[in-house]
Amino acid sequence: MLKGLLSLGFLPAAWKLPVWIALGVFAGLGILTIHVSRAPSYMSDAPETCMNCHVMTQAYVTWNHSSHRNVATCNDCHVPQDNIVNTYAFKAKDGMRHSSMFTLRLEPQVIQLSAGAVPVVEQNCRRCHNQLVGDVHLRAWQPGDNRCWDCHREVPHGRVQSLSTAFDVNAPKLPGVLDNPHKMQSGGRDPRPAKETKP
Amino acid sequence: MTEPTAPVPAGPSARKGWLVFGAVLVAVFVLGLLLATILERRAESVQRQRVLQPIQAWESDSSKWAGNWPREHASWKATEQKDTATKYGGSFQHDYLAIAPANVILFAGYAFSVDYKQARGHQYAVSDVKETGRDISTKPGTCWTCKSPDVPRLMAQMGPAKFYDTPAKDLMPEIKHSIGCADCHDPQTMALTITRPALVEAFERQGKDIKAVSHQEMRTLVCAQCHVEYYFKKDESKGQKAYLTFPWDKGMGVEEMDAYYDEKQFSDWTHPISGAKMVKMQHPDYEVYSKGIHAYRNVSCADCHMPYKTEGGQKFTDHHIQSPLLNISQSCAVCHRWGEAEIKSRVESIQDKIVHGRAVAEDALCKAHFDIAACKQAGAGDEELAEVRKLVRKAQLRWDYVAANNGLGFHAPQECQRILADAADLAQQTRVACVRLLAKKGVTEPVIYPDWSSKEKAQALIKTFAKDGTPPTLIAK
Repeated sequence: MLKGLLSLGFLPAAWKLPVWIALGVFAGLGILTIHVSRAPSYMSDAPETCMNCHVMTQAYVTWNHSSHRNVATCNDCHVPQDNIVNTYAFKAKDGMRHSSMFTLRLEPQVIQLSAGAVPVVEQNCRRCHNQLVGDVHLRAWQPGDNRCWDCHREVPHGRVQSLSTAFDVNAPKLPGVLDNPHKMQSGGRDPRPAKETKP
Repeated sequence: MTEPTAPVPAGPSARKGWLVFGAVLVAVFVLGLLLATILERRAESVQRQRVLQPIQAWESDSSKWAGNWPREHASWKATEQKDTATKYGGSFQHDYLAIAPANVILFAGYAFSVDYKQARGHQYAVSDVKETGRDISTKPGTCWTCKSPDVPRLMAQMGPAKFYDTPAKDLMPEIKHSIGCADCHDPQTMALTITRPALVEAFERQGKDIKAVSHQEMRTLVCAQCHVEYYFKKDESKGQKAYLTFPWDKGMGVEEMDAYYDEKQFSDWTHPISGAKMVKMQHPDYEVYSKGIHAYRNVSCADCHMPYKTEGGQKFTDHHIQSPLLNISQSCAVCHRWGEAEIKSRVESIQDKIVHGRAVAEDALCKAHFDIAACKQAGAGDEELAEVRKLVRKAQLRWDYVAANNGLGFHAPQECQRILADAADLAQQTRVACVRLLAKKGVTEPVIYPDWSSKEKAQALIKTFAKDGTPPTLIAK
């Protein structure tokens, strides 16, 4: 049955070649789409990946001018880092939402954290700044409490935020479809010095 | 001869083939669409060079600017909307007289008691003036000053003084376009520019140079050409009948304007109920804004009413000028990073409180006018009434400074509440003085107030106070 399906056995002989060609066109177009959309880059943690969509320009540029650029990438804060299953499940869910919103032109002028993203980002603040907030007499966050960024408003994307606030300035240039896709990983000016290894 | 084999019916297998073909076709089409949008959305963020077509000097037709500035023009066109409502405002013809019949009493004897509606968007500036019940056919050309980009062109031709002195109805055929590009922009450089002389002159009289301001200030001052308190100055020595003037020589606060008008002994009309010489405040939006927290933080009018917008990766200024409450996420949330509902409820709670203060002052003011009328009925003469008439003028000027300004006090909430407190206090001082006067005349019973609870009742009531009318008896015999 499966063999018959794979060899197009259910078709009359004369149909087989044209259908193979049509399926080849389809597959080729699929691979082209994957290439042009730089889909493989989404497996990485490089912040330039997020720049595939220009609505992320201001997020990138503000981060790139913040102290966090030396220590944290987009994913370090915006994706759960507790275990690998969680990381990729959340990334896939958020990624699908972002790409469909962008494709359908539904992006808002002022992007804010979604309800699902709020605890993730807070958890990631605490993950690194644990010494600061991990004191035994501090209780865990409860509904009604402020979040970290209610006071630290400028961390790391600045106080004034909309798609228009950091326009195209110092944004890396994305590689063309014939360029080496890895060029994107350090597109434009490399914002980050090589990570220092701790002695 | 062998029996010819029966032709294999093309039936079931061929149908399967077409099915596969069709499925692949649809899949390729959808995939191609996705690919095209990816490339399209990537390309749109790249700034394209534009070849600008020169725009004529004094070009008042905004559609002639559209070729160079399509996004700005399209968003400006959106001020055509006339059905947008916020809790207290929006772009539709809100009938202030029906909502608060006290307005009829307070503006008795003045055209605002006949028709007083909320103005709609900038697209309606000219038609709103033509349609208003405050007949402009007898008014000077000054009335057109803020309504059209044809005005700077006419002023350049005839000079401002002659423009103001020409009757409004004679200028009407020349006023073709509603507020648009040429009101705020230099057609050669697109720089923001002041096209109305009254603002420049007001700056000069205060010893300030309007050319020395920053671009950020210009994003407020182009609005301040019109959204201000003004009056028509009569100057016999210069032969001026209605020269548009801003009363800012002593300052832009309400007390300074009050002192200015007192010094000039200026009044817009005489109130038929109280006989007081009144001043009408016209939308002092810029003055009130300048007392508020947003002005203190250097936030301009345009920052909230014309926020920056990005469309397809291209940044531009949204020229759909409207209440930020209709566009919260794009205007307020840029700095105030809360949800839309939360921001809206904060703003409305501020406005609710102003509405309360305004209503308290409004009621006291109406009663003050009737108290003065009662004194007159009890036999008080003009000399005895001079003091209370002065008080009620001051009270109403303060109330109107808040009531006539757009934004319902939001532009400077604390300042507006302070002024409303003074307005209510001055109105009550008027009433206390009236009670004393009435007592002197032997009237100790309370004043009998007539009914002004609806627009119609109030309009009928004020007619009885006209010269040939018979007003109701306000004092118990």
